[in-house]
Amino acid sequence: MTAMERYTGTPKLMVPAFGLGVVGLVLTAVGFFMNPQATSFSYLLGFTYWVGISVAALIMLAIFHTAKAKWLIVLRRAMETMAVAVPIFAVLFLAFIPMMKHLYPWVDGSPLAANIHGIEVEHLAHKKHGYLNLTFFAVRQVIYFAVWIFVSQRLYGWSTKQDDAGGLDLTVKQRRFSPGALPFLALTVTFASFDWMMSLTPLWQSTIFGVYYFAGSFLAAFCVLTVATVNAQGKDLYGSLVTPAHFHNLGKLIFAFTAFWAYIAFSQFLLVWIANIPEEAPWYGLRMFGSWRSMSIALFFLHFVLPFFTLLSRSLKVQPRKLAVVAVYMLLIHAVDLYWLIWPAYSGEAGPTFHWTLITAWVGVGGISVGYALFRARGRYTLPVKDPYIAESLRYVQP
Amino acid sequence: MEAKVLDSWVLAEFATPDALVDATRQMREKGFLGMDTYSPYPLHGGSEALGLPPSRVPFIALGGGLTGLVTALAMQTWMNTVDYPLNIGGRPLLSLPAWVPITFELSVLFAAFGIFFGLLGLSRLPQPYHPAFESEEFRSASTHGFWLSVPHPTGQDAADVKNQLTALGATHVTVVSGENA
Repeated sequence: MTAMERYTGTPKLMVPAFGLGVVGLVLTAVGFFMNPQATSFSYLLGFTYWVGISVAALIMLAIFHTAKAKWLIVLRRAMETMAVAVPIFAVLFLAFIPMMKHLYPWVDGSPLAANIHGIEVEHLAHKKHGYLNLTFFAVRQVIYFAVWIFVSQRLYGWSTKQDDAGGLDLTVKQRRFSPGALPFLALTVTFASFDWMMSLTPLWQSTIFGVYYFAGSFLAAFCVLTVATVNAQGKDLYGSLVTPAHFHNLGKLIFAFTAFWAYIAFSQFLLVWIANIPEEAPWYGLRMFGSWRSMSIALFFLHFVLPFFTLLSRSLKVQPRKLAVVAVYMLLIHAVDLYWLIWPAYSGEAGPTFHWTLITAWVGVGGISVGYALFRARGRYTLPVKDPYIAESLRYVQP
Repeated sequence: MEAKVLDSWVLAEFATPDALVDATRQMREKGFLGMDTYSPYPLHGGSEALGLPPSRVPFIALGGGLTGLVTALAMQTWMNTVDYPLNIGGRPLLSLPAWVPITFELSVLFAAFGIFFGLLGLSRLPQPYHPAFESEEFRSASTHGFWLSVPHPTGQDAADVKNQLTALGATHVTVVSGENA
């Protein structure tokens, strides 16, 4: 066995990722001129899907530092790489400038859904103007990305510096910094989800919405980590050092967040259903009855029941290949979940319609962000080689 | 008075957990069956060294969880829909979303019962007496000693087993006999 060297950034992966990303985004731009509204919603889906994974990885990283987790260290660089890709989303977010007016009814200050509930509702919309206006929206986006970029680059910087410097003090820095960053991360993700997705239906509100978004995103982040780790075999890659015990933990986390997603999804639904008040109920009414009904029921079975009972199996969780298959499935169903969240605001009673930019935008944003993450990983080790606890992580066994 | 059936064990104390796990594995590889380990705290690699089959507790827990699920759904449907129909805010008498919290809680509760009582049952606990307690030295199993018990036919000479255990690093070897509950 040869010594672990720095990752040289296989063009085999990075170039196709960027290529797919550029092609996807160009096609999406074409789509924007053909059907601006559908394309805007598609792009929103692609964007929230990938940025959610990146920010979820960042939050998880901070949580692991806070908990002083050692088992994860062999996987930590992969997680950091996902998190450090956040700046690219600040760039990709600029595409929303021309899309805003196609997405959000509050942009032009027109009476919101006045035809549904009448005057009472217009009044409510007016009350929300102090929050839902373009200037404040822009200010908030700057804050979100500033927090995410600051925290992710800081943690990544210390971690990669330790690869050369070694020692305990850089670990201490990461562990002290992370718990302080967590409240800011949690709040920014929550409000970002309000801004991006909840305000598509400006009269609807749910305080748990942010948790719903990051429950799904956490799940997707661990699925990406699993798929990446299974595929990170070969020279200078960390995959061969990862044992079934690590995969078991990843499997347990995917399992836990499958259940957590369902718990949050139901909590949100139950409160709205029980209260049954006019400005909240229509959001679920649209999804519960008529053309969206079958999809909502299918989502419950495909996003919860099926993976829950599949992941109960212990033997599945310790077999990397099989776990990766489940992870890929969950990554697909997470996209369906976001579609279910976003698309009804576009198609309404027409139900689950399809527009080709859904694919191009998802591939486009995904290609660019994955390519950028790999670009950031170049010239680094694929695991924190001089972390003081790396040996303990490598010989981790299930307690 | 009927004749009591006595069981016997050779007990061996080891100084470290590693020595115990190692000795357990080697004894098992020699073909000894029905052994057990005793330590003051959870022993890493102990169950692997004993070659224990996968635990059946998860299946009992699943059974418990599903029992709770069915019980809760049936109970609520019976009470709120059939036996004493309640109109709550004009909702249908069979409103599944309202059933879910209780169903969830009861599934968790019954699964926990399954784990707790399943584990007790499978480990044949509580067990206030075991012949191993006849050995005064065995008390160290709850403070600092790491013990291995090897079943042995009562009345036969245990010198061979004792010697093997000593060769594997046992610091103290003894034989106990008694009526196993």
